[in-house]
Amino acid sequence: MKKFNYQELVDSEQALQKRSIFWEPAIYEEELKQIFNRCWLFLGHESQLPQPGDFIRTYMGEDDVIVVRGKDKVIRAFLNACTHRGNKVCQAEGGNTRSFTCSYHGWSFNTEGELAGVPLEKEIYDNLPRERFGLVPVARLESYKGLLFGCFSESAPSLIEYLGDIAWYIDVVTDSAEGGLEVVGAPYKTEIPGNWKLPVENAIGDGYHVAWAHAGAMSVVGAIGSGRSDNVLGITANNMGVDQSGAVEIVMNTHTVLTTLDGQSGYALYDHPEPVLAHLEKNRPRVIEKLGELRGRQLYGSETHIGVFPNVQIIQGLNFIRIIHPKGPGKFEVWTYAMCERGMPDATKEIIHDHVRQTFGPAGLLEGDDGDFVEAITHSAAGYATRQMQGFLGMGMGRKAPWDGPGEASPGLVNEACQRGFYDQWRRTMEADNAYEVIGQTAPVAPVTAVVKELRHG
Amino acid sequence: MANAELKLAPTAPVSFEQEYAIGKFLSMEARVLDEERYPEWLELLTEDIRYQMPVAISTYRRARQGSTTLKPLFIIDDGFPGLKQRADREATGLVWLNDPATRHLRIITNIEVETTDTPNEFLVRSKFMIFRGRRDKDIASHAGWREDILRQTPQGWRIARRVVHLIERVVIDKNLNMFF
Repeated sequence: MKKFNYQELVDSEQALQKRSIFWEPAIYEEELKQIFNRCWLFLGHESQLPQPGDFIRTYMGEDDVIVVRGKDKVIRAFLNACTHRGNKVCQAEGGNTRSFTCSYHGWSFNTEGELAGVPLEKEIYDNLPRERFGLVPVARLESYKGLLFGCFSESAPSLIEYLGDIAWYIDVVTDSAEGGLEVVGAPYKTEIPGNWKLPVENAIGDGYHVAWAHAGAMSVVGAIGSGRSDNVLGITANNMGVDQSGAVEIVMNTHTVLTTLDGQSGYALYDHPEPVLAHLEKNRPRVIEKLGELRGRQLYGSETHIGVFPNVQIIQGLNFIRIIHPKGPGKFEVWTYAMCERGMPDATKEIIHDHVRQTFGPAGLLEGDDGDFVEAITHSAAGYATRQMQGFLGMGMGRKAPWDGPGEASPGLVNEACQRGFYDQWRRTMEADNAYEVIGQTAPVAPVTAVVKELRHG
Repeated sequence: MANAELKLAPTAPVSFEQEYAIGKFLSMEARVLDEERYPEWLELLTEDIRYQMPVAISTYRRARQGSTTLKPLFIIDDGFPGLKQRADREATGLVWLNDPATRHLRIITNIEVETTDTPNEFLVRSKFMIFRGRRDKDIASHAGWREDILRQTPQGWRIARRVVHLIERVVIDKNLNMFF
C-alpha cells in the first residue's frame, strides 16, 4: 500500500501535478525516505579533495555528511554525527584536518572515520569497543570520472547503472575537459523559502521563463564588452518570437538533458566570450576524436543542462554545478560551484568564474528572479483550495525531434519535456518498493558498459 | 578578515571637518540608494572603482589560507561597468519583484576614518544594516561591515573602493540584488 496516490499527485497522461506535493509535510517526509535515502546523490568533485586530510561538508537530503580523503588517500563519506551522543563532529564547511573532534565530550575520529580518541577512556570505560563506534559511513560512495556520489541504500544499483544513459551526456563535460574537470573552492550557498523540486525542474527544463521572468536581467546581461547574443535559447529579444529548431529537450528513464546543439551558445550571455570560444575551438578536434562527431560538434560548447535526479544539475555554458538541498517542505539551499577545464588558461577560467558570479551567484543578475516565484508557488499551496489545484506542464507533449543520442528528444527549449520527465521520475521513485525500481530496468547503453569496467579496475 | 590591501597606517590625523563630511556623505549615499536613485548613485563612484563582497567561508581558525582548495570566493566583484549593469537592470522596469515598489532602509554607523598614503584618499570603515521590505511582509535584512576608500575630488567625495563583509555564510534571502 503506497502512502499516497501518486498517480493522482502526478498525472503523466495529462501532465498535471497536484500542488500539495510542494507543501504537505507528510509528502516531504516520504521524499526524505524514498528519494534522498535511496537515490545516488551528488557529493562533490574529486578536485575539491586533492590531499589526504582534505574534507568538505555537504548534505544528502537533510543528513549532514562529511566527505574526506583519508591518510590512505581513499575518499570516504560519513554522517556528521558523533557516535556517542550525536553532536556534529565537524562545524567547518571544508578544509584540511587530521581528525574530527566532537565539541560535546571530545570524542575524536580520524580521517578514516575510526574512533581515535576518547577523553579519560581508561578511567571511565572498561574495554570500550572502539571499533563499534567509528563514524557511520554513507553506505555507498562512487566516483564517475571525478564526480562523487553517495547513496544510503546498500541494495541500490551501482552509480553507473543509476546514471544510465545520462552518463553519455556527462562525458561531454568530463571527457572534453582539457586536463579534466576542475571544481575548485567553495560553493555559493543561498537559502530560499520554497520547495526543493521547483528550482530543480526550473533549471533542467524551463526555457519558457527565461525571457519573461528574467526580462530585466536579459536586457542587460552580456552587454559589457563584446558578448551578448539577441537570440538566447531560441527566444528572440523581448520574448516576441521563438525558434524551436536546433535545440532539444531529452528525457531518459531517470534523468534529463536540454541542449542547444549548436556547439557554442553556452557562452551567448558572457560579457567576454572570445577566450572561452577560442579555447572550445582549439580543444574541439580532441573532443571529436574522443567522443565522436555528434557530441564533439553539437554538444560540446552548447548550453546544456544535465539534470541528474533528484537534485544536481551540471550546466555547461553557464558552467556551474548546482545542488538543491531540501530543508523542509518550504525551504531549500542552492549550492553553486563554478566548473572549469583544468587545462584552460587562468584568464579563461577567470572569465568563467566571473560569469557564474555575475549571472547565478547570490547577487547574480538572473539568480535573483527565480526565488520569488518559487516561494510564491510553494507558499500559496498553504491554502487548502489552492493546494487542490494542479500545475500544467503540457508544452511540447507528443512532439518528437529526430535524435541519434540516447533518450527521447522533443524539439526546442521552450518545451516542458524535461520537467515532465522530472515529475514522472519523482512519481516512479516515490512509488518504488526497492532501489532498482527507481531506475526502471533498462540496461546501460554500450559505451557506458565500457566505463563500468574502467571504474572497477581503475 | 580585513583586506590586507586596505590595512594602511594613518599618515596624518584626520580633521574633524573631513570626518564630519565623510559621515554626511555616507548618510547621503545610503539615502540615494534607499530612494532607488541609481544613476545618481553611479555618479558617486570613481570610474576605477572596485566593489567586492567576499564570501565568509566557514573554515577552522587554524586553517591557513592556501592550505586547501577553499579559495576566496566573491559574491560581487565589480568594476564600474558591472555596477552600472546592475543599476541598469533595476531601471528596466522589468524586474517584476520590485513592483509593487520595494522599500529600502540602510543604517550606516560606527564610521572610522584613516588617512592613506594618497593625500586625497581616506580609508573609511563602517558598519551597516540593510532592510528590504516588499509586498505585505516579505522582509529581508543583512548586517555587516564595509571598508571603503573615499576620494576627495573637485566634484566632491567619490567611492574608489568598497569591500562589503556580510556576517552570514549562507545567504538567507531570495537574492542580494541591492547595493551595500
